[in-house]
Amino acid sequence: MSVAVMSNVMDNTISSMEVEEPPQHVQDLYSDDPDKLLEAVSRLKNMVIGSNRQKSIAIKHGILPRVLALLGDVQWGDEIRRESCIVLGSLVKGTEENVRAVVDACSVPVLIRVLSSEDAILVEYSLTCLKTIFSHRFAPKDMLYSDPGLIRHLLSLMNESVANKISVASILSDACSTADHQITLANHGVVTHLAALLVSPSIKVQMPAVKCLTEMSYKNEHVSSVIAETVFNGKKLPDLLISLLSRDKPDKMQLQVAACFTYLHRANALPPTDDKVCMKTLPCLVRMCSKEHDTETRVVAAETLSYLIEVDKELQATAAISNRLISTLSEFLKPQQIVFKPLTGTTAVMHKAAFKAFASLGANDEQIRKRIIETEPLMEKVVECLDEPNPDIALAAVRCLHSLSRSVQQLRTTFKDHSVWKPLLKLLQHNRQDILAVASSTLCNLLLEFSPSKEPVLESGAVEVLCNLTRHEDVGLRLNGIWALMNVAFQADQRLKSQILVTLGMDQIFRLLSDDEANIVMKTLGLLRNLLTSAAHIDHIMGLYGKQIMQASILILEGDHGPETKEQALCMLSNIADGFSAKDYIMTNDDVLKKITSYLSHSSPKLQTAAVMCVSNLAWKEEDGSLERQAKLKELGVQKLLHSLITTSDQNLFDRVKTALNQFSPN
Amino acid sequence: MSGNASTETKPSSKDDMASSKEKWMEKIEAVQIPRSEINKLIMNYLVTEGFKDAAEKFQDESGTEPGVDLTTLDQRIKILESIQDGKIQEAVQMINSFQPQLLDDNRYLFFHLQQQHLIELIRQKNIDGALKFAQEHLADQGEENSQVLEELERTLALLAFEDPESSPFGDLLALSHRQKVASEFNIAFLTQDCQDSSVSKLAFLLKFILWSQEEMDRKKLKYPKMGDLATASIEDPK
Repeated sequence: MSVAVMSNVMDNTISSMEVEEPPQHVQDLYSDDPDKLLEAVSRLKNMVIGSNRQKSIAIKHGILPRVLALLGDVQWGDEIRRESCIVLGSLVKGTEENVRAVVDACSVPVLIRVLSSEDAILVEYSLTCLKTIFSHRFAPKDMLYSDPGLIRHLLSLMNESVANKISVASILSDACSTADHQITLANHGVVTHLAALLVSPSIKVQMPAVKCLTEMSYKNEHVSSVIAETVFNGKKLPDLLISLLSRDKPDKMQLQVAACFTYLHRANALPPTDDKVCMKTLPCLVRMCSKEHDTETRVVAAETLSYLIEVDKELQATAAISNRLISTLSEFLKPQQIVFKPLTGTTAVMHKAAFKAFASLGANDEQIRKRIIETEPLMEKVVECLDEPNPDIALAAVRCLHSLSRSVQQLRTTFKDHSVWKPLLKLLQHNRQDILAVASSTLCNLLLEFSPSKEPVLESGAVEVLCNLTRHEDVGLRLNGIWALMNVAFQADQRLKSQILVTLGMDQIFRLLSDDEANIVMKTLGLLRNLLTSAAHIDHIMGLYGKQIMQASILILEGDHGPETKEQALCMLSNIADGFSAKDYIMTNDDVLKKITSYLSHSSPKLQTAAVMCVSNLAWKEEDGSLERQAKLKELGVQKLLHSLITTSDQNLFDRVKTALNQFSPN
Repeated sequence: MSGNASTETKPSSKDDMASSKEKWMEKIEAVQIPRSEINKLIMNYLVTEGFKDAAEKFQDESGTEPGVDLTTLDQRIKILESIQDGKIQEAVQMINSFQPQLLDDNRYLFFHLQQQHLIELIRQKNIDGALKFAQEHLADQGEENSQVLEELERTLALLAFEDPESSPFGDLLALSHRQKVASEFNIAFLTQDCQDSSVSKLAFLLKFILWSQEEMDRKKLKYPKMGDLATASIEDPK
């Protein structure tokens, strides 16, 4: 029998009956009799408190406009208004759908108007309700800033009661989401009010105050410096704050305070050498990463730590030697049970947090990177997660790899074991720009002098991917693409060089040489230089593209470019002059010859040196046709100019000039 | 220049302590505690435990501030009494008047109050009322929380027995079950009311003594132990 009773009870979810026929107390809400009305609102209140189902039913009965009308109209008297406010306050403690319904009914302006009521209890209820609404991301936060007097009024309400302190600090904290918000709040003197809350005896008051300070300081130098310099009761705010970081405080409080100090430091309000940063915040976060703490705490701690130490070498070094941090973080990557891709929930956020922290730890120091790379199962996991369908994790993994890829020496051996190329190249075809940016930078680093591993990279189709990247609309990605190609071409074989030229195409090379970004022009010239090495390759390439390449060099030498770019172009010409048949492309081009000659008397020794190298290669005496070339150069006055350069004080230039002049002498 | 700065060693204070109860007591006597501090502890105990009249008298006689509005004490006591009397709906309405957020923020407590009301209906043999109440107010709560569902099933199972008191689920009908709910409410109320702890400071101090003694016992230290907390009598070291 009990089973039958049970199923009977359990099956009864919200039936249409309940929604269609409003019960008596809902009907009485529209009564004109104040007593009846009060009783109806009270009954409604007792129905909805505690039960999401009853909240949903009430909303479906369409009570919201009526409740708001009762709340907003002074004629109903304090009691009815208070009860109406409690009803609203309860409805917003229901499901997200319930909260949206309340917000969509335009409750926030009504609740804000109620704040100027004489009835302190009604005001307190209204603030509590607003606090709950504002804790949702879809709350109309801008409304707080629409009336210039509102923030001041809220601050004055804080003095009324402890509950008001909590509500106002929470509302301000949740409503602070842009730099404008941060500055508006600071200009209203919010910081001093929050400082007063920090010395409250109750942690429930301190917590939203710290949270609000954290929100206000995030990436805002001005507001952060205001916070750091604010004095309350003769103490600076950071000194009040630091006492809340002690171990006897709840984990959540310690984490929040640590986040606040992290933001103050990153916004340059506190130097990394400040004890509160390096001796308190950092060790606190490191400690919170360890496994005695719950997962959520560990994840937040690792993420905050990675932001704290992201740019400062000393903090990175301190963190790396603290409390076995590296091995603690590597435990984040060893899930308790077998996991399947895509990573979800706890496993996902733990991986992400660990990768971020490792990326920060290894940002600068070779030794730390070595230790990270040698920590099992890190590299394996990084490579595994590059392929992760969840883009946030893939991004964290590739950021970590990017940081570690600055140690090419370390990776050279490691990556023979981990096939990193395939997933990395796959990421280079991702549709998310942030992933593309980090993945391409990583590839640039990895291809740099990474000759042993070039083969597998290229077999994975890297050239196509990189050439496509040079066509991207984002300037950073174009740069990374051409940079990586330049690194690929370094000491490459002829087959690979041809592949690059064919895939990239002369048209694209010209487009890149006309790019507004000087760095892209430089790297394109660098690519051409790397392609034009060793005589046989030079002749081959010039045979195919000589005319265009000569045009390219004139384009640069005559264009409006800085000396570094022109130097690259001259170096490229000097490479061409190092070929055999390729020399003719220069010798038969009077424009180029005149250009080279004119750079011999340029004011910059670097450009002079590059020009001398060109001349030297062209005049090289043991090669066929050298006498004719020398004659032509003499005709242009080159030899004379070289003689005049012999008095230079620049050692490098002097050496080059001597070598060049040597070509013109008979023996 | 002398190489050794200190060669003299003091006798270990640990041995000194363990040596005799007298010395121990002497040292304890030497510690000063202001009367006002003790008064505060007592006031805190009275307030936390809900002895309102005593608290008022104690305030008059000792001049110690209760630290909270004693009317909230009144409210809390009334609610506790209603729960203990089985008048659960009355209690819920009072909670919603005094602390409108409490039951929305403590859904598990709310469930236990509803469950207790269901138990009271079953106790009154109001089977129809019990079924109706369960359908309207309890069915949905089991959906979100498996523990709630299990407890709800146990409660409804009472309906299957002619004599529920002697059923395997009879413990739910015991008056001590009301007490359990009342105390759960008490903790929630005190925690909500911006107090950081729902345990009286006096109780905490006693717990602290017991814990410290356990720690010392675990380390096999000899010391004069407080055996009976109620009389605070100190035994000789064993």
